[in-house]
Amino acid sequence: MAAMAKVTEELALVERFRRGDDSAFEAIVEQHAAAVAALANRLLGWPGDVDDVVQEVFVAAFFGLKKFRGESSLRTWLFTITVNKCRSFRFRRLRRLRRVAVEEVTARESRERSGEKAALDQEALAQVRRAIQVLPRKYREIVVLRYLQGLEVSEICELLGITANAMQVRLNRARKRLKEQLGDLLEE
Amino acid sequence: MNEEQIKQLCIRADETAGEPPFRLITTAGIRRQVRRRRFVRVAVPASLAAVLAVAAALSAIWMRMGGPQPQPQRIASLEEQVQQLQARTDATLKLMQEVLERDRQDRRLAALETELASIPDPVQEIDRQVDKTAFILVYQADKLYKELNQTESAVAAYKEVIQLFPTNQWANVARERLSQIEQRRLNKSDGQKGEPKWEPRNT
Repeated sequence: MAAMAKVTEELALVERFRRGDDSAFEAIVEQHAAAVAALANRLLGWPGDVDDVVQEVFVAAFFGLKKFRGESSLRTWLFTITVNKCRSFRFRRLRRLRRVAVEEVTARESRERSGEKAALDQEALAQVRRAIQVLPRKYREIVVLRYLQGLEVSEICELLGITANAMQVRLNRARKRLKEQLGDLLEE
Repeated sequence: MNEEQIKQLCIRADETAGEPPFRLITTAGIRRQVRRRRFVRVAVPASLAAVLAVAAALSAIWMRMGGPQPQPQRIASLEEQVQQLQARTDATLKLMQEVLERDRQDRRLAALETELASIPDPVQEIDRQVDKTAFILVYQADKLYKELNQTESAVAAYKEVIQLFPTNQWANVARERLSQIEQRRLNKSDGQKGEPKWEPRNT
């Protein structure tokens, strides 16, 4: 019932925006900006500064909202835009990120050799983030959307335009890769 | 290690990263961004085109004005070309002077020929004067003989014409008159009287 009310409220906002009410768009931004920023932050590997991507997402939404048909929720629609913008944004940084990942693996091996048994501290969690970051795009997006954003399977399938089966396959493969990279940390 | 462990690990890693800061965007801000992007989309290519045009113009001017410094061989070649051009110019000037001089001479010759053509032929003039004198003498002799009836004076005048201008046509006329006078004298001596039948010839 609450979900129904929410959908109705979103459609009302969109309709108000279509009729020229700018405050409706600002209300949509206020409602979804935090979630969009969080998703962008996770998809881009927690850079901390995702303001540009968030701006781009809402600029695209501003021009695309008039074509929004309400077939999905507004959040899913905004997340789809966010995923696409992050793909473009990340493409420019791909080589640099891979280089960083290699350096981190080297550092971890160095710590293992030194026999240091550190707890799962901040550095280790940062390593988890980097492991997610260096996953291939299709696996990384699934991990972020499913585990970190907590989206439902159906919503992820709609957002990425894939079947549930394909999503499960990707998620399994992503887990396998994470295990390979974070095996030592998980054992601890 | 199951799925839940990995999920929890990912969630903990995400939580420790913190919330990302961001600015709330407004519709006015979006419109400003769009205007800025449109401006950049137009201004950057236009500026680039202007810079390229200026560079091309400067390059063209540089090529015209100076270009690379000439080599000594190139200088010698240019000097030789200049000398050849100067020699050709001198030859052309000389030829022009010759042509002009010839034209001047031709015009002078034509003027002289015109002047010469205007002068009458002296031989013809003398012939004309001779003819005229002979006519006058014959005319006066005719007048003496016909009007004044001075036959002897007229005969003397006819003989003078024949003597002075033997080849002239009026000498023939004078001979004809003398013959007629002689014929009349003979007729007169035979008892016949009469006026001469000839008339003075008009000129």
